[in-house]
Amino acid sequence: MIAMDQTAIFVILLAAPAAGAAVSLLPRDGVEILASMLSAGAALAASLLLLVFGTAGDFGFFYSDGLTRIMAFTISAVFFTSVAYSAFYIKRIREPLIRFRWYYSLLDLFTFTMLLAVTVNDLGFIWIAVEATTVSSALLVALERERTSIEAAWRYTLIVSAGLVASLLSVVFVYFSQGTLVISTLLTKPVANDLLMAVAVGFALVGYGTKAGIAPMHAWLPDAHSEAPSPVSAMFSGILLPTSIYALVRTFSLLQGSAVFDAMRNLLIGFGIFTALLAAVIIGNQRNYKRMLAYSSMENMGIILVGFSLGGIGAIGAVVQIVAHAFAKSSAFYEAGNIVVAFDSKSMSAVQGVVNRLKFSGYLFTLSCFAVTGAPPFGVFVGEFMILSQAMSSGNILLTVLLAIAYVYAFIGLNRQSILMIFGQSNSPMVDAAGKAPPDHAVRENLLSLAIPLANLVISLVVGLYMIPVILQAATGFAL
Amino acid sequence: MAPVASFAEVEGLLGIVVIISALYLQGQSFVDPTIRGISAQSFVISAIFVILYLQSGDMDLVYLAIVTAIVRGILIPNVMLYQVRRFKHSLRETGMGLRIPSLVIMGVVIVIAGYGLYKTVLLSVLPNSLVAVPLVLILLSFLLIATRRNALMQMTGFLQEENGVLYAGALITPSIPLLIEFAVVLDILGVVLVGVILSGTRDVLRTLEAPELEQLTG
Repeated sequence: MIAMDQTAIFVILLAAPAAGAAVSLLPRDGVEILASMLSAGAALAASLLLLVFGTAGDFGFFYSDGLTRIMAFTISAVFFTSVAYSAFYIKRIREPLIRFRWYYSLLDLFTFTMLLAVTVNDLGFIWIAVEATTVSSALLVALERERTSIEAAWRYTLIVSAGLVASLLSVVFVYFSQGTLVISTLLTKPVANDLLMAVAVGFALVGYGTKAGIAPMHAWLPDAHSEAPSPVSAMFSGILLPTSIYALVRTFSLLQGSAVFDAMRNLLIGFGIFTALLAAVIIGNQRNYKRMLAYSSMENMGIILVGFSLGGIGAIGAVVQIVAHAFAKSSAFYEAGNIVVAFDSKSMSAVQGVVNRLKFSGYLFTLSCFAVTGAPPFGVFVGEFMILSQAMSSGNILLTVLLAIAYVYAFIGLNRQSILMIFGQSNSPMVDAAGKAPPDHAVRENLLSLAIPLANLVISLVVGLYMIPVILQAATGFAL
Repeated sequence: MAPVASFAEVEGLLGIVVIISALYLQGQSFVDPTIRGISAQSFVISAIFVILYLQSGDMDLVYLAIVTAIVRGILIPNVMLYQVRRFKHSLRETGMGLRIPSLVIMGVVIVIAGYGLYKTVLLSVLPNSLVAVPLVLILLSFLLIATRRNALMQMTGFLQEENGVLYAGALITPSIPLLIEFAVVLDILGVVLVGVILSGTRDVLRTLEAPELEQLTG
């Protein structure tokens, strides 16, 4: 593919959601869904072209390597499924905070900002794009207009913004040390000032780490994930958190070859493993099943950060885990949405025996939970295995043991809770106050609400079984 | 004839004013003086940008000064004050169980620790000791946000943080590209935050004891 074509595909990739955001606002019923679906389809097609035919290099405003292209594909794919699932989910929201056309427009804009963050060739623009993800998604979190969702949106916006200011300092320090913010130039330039660049990575860890849910800056994450509508939760967990990890890893990769590289790598590994362990311990104590999934995302992000920091096969494993987790976790959040719609509650105690009422959603939710906690042969298992292998081969026994503990704790904690919830004994009355079907009466499930999470779960499986050579080939150009 | 005061001396003086204003905000329990305080601080920061322009000749700093004065000096504080006037009585911070003297002492400790951090870690690579001022300002903003529950007070902390980071950027690398864009994005975010408060959907006096908010724990 010649360079000019690839630039044109990058433009289409970004223009599609931007156009979708504008057209969605037209005051005609149904246009918002159609516009968003078309823009999501166009973005997905463009990202697939980049994934299959794209080459590494500097394309002016854009930068392309394996990580860029894989991230663009993952973001576009989860965007596509979230728009499709929204068609089922959001019309069930009784008193939305904003009109649905605004919802779709912001969803498109949110995707545009994430795609911009992972494709742009400038650290300053990456910061602007990551900050803009907060602007575009704040109202999405509060869509259900409940007191808790408004509070969650406030906490999300305030904490993440406060954190991201630290990452702006990181950008300032990088520029002061290296004299440029252009990624392709930075990657070829030796580090001019080790200490300044180390401080820059430290600030990036605080700033982008806040947005990625890295402990102890994760306070916003469980609130926003549990209170946002399920399609938005899926996008937060599956693609927003990895986009922030991407920004952090891009900054960290600039340290290659410098004297402070090992010290900063150990710092990132420390934060990553602390996050994974903390989340793994907390998962099993949750009473709200969407919060439980949120902590699982946090655990995955911790492991992914460890993988990138280790480098080598660990970095490849992190990429595999990003892709597989995005599909599996979005599937889990869509299923959680089905449960919310059927039971009108996010409390585990109120939805015991899901499978009696939502047979297929119940089974799919259980399978999705297995997938996100690294059950073989799903892709997350392959990613986690690669990261563990890298930890072992690097001779870091303590890290290997801690990683294994995090895997096991998260696996037992999440799956035990999900199995109890899905297959447990129903404790609801035969007829509820709202006159809804009692939990032990199966209801007819919406085909769309099952097909989308099933498709994502299958992709997560395919990533584990067949796509490793593709990801290996695509990701080998990445600096770590 | 020698000038009465050099740019560096004026900058140093204004830097001290900025730190004092941050400690003043930290010591407030009523909302309206805090908002007026952040407005005044933004004007001082704006003046610093003008002085930095006079030193470097970089026109971006003038635009930055104008954006700072208009958005964080006038626009956002006035919208926040409008919200305060909706209440008949003066809004007061309900607090996190900490008294004002304790908060001010914590602020002073942060100033000393922040300066110490600068001297021990950054002095060798950033020899301009004025850089310590925005770094301390950012740390004080984190303290302000973390120790208040009132949304308007937290918002003030965010604006102060924004002042601090743009001040740091302009001081360390006045020629950095996208400085104006950074400021505009941060201001848009500030407007979104104010919008959430202004919409009335987020009660400015909300406390974590509200029963529904129990769901947001764990």
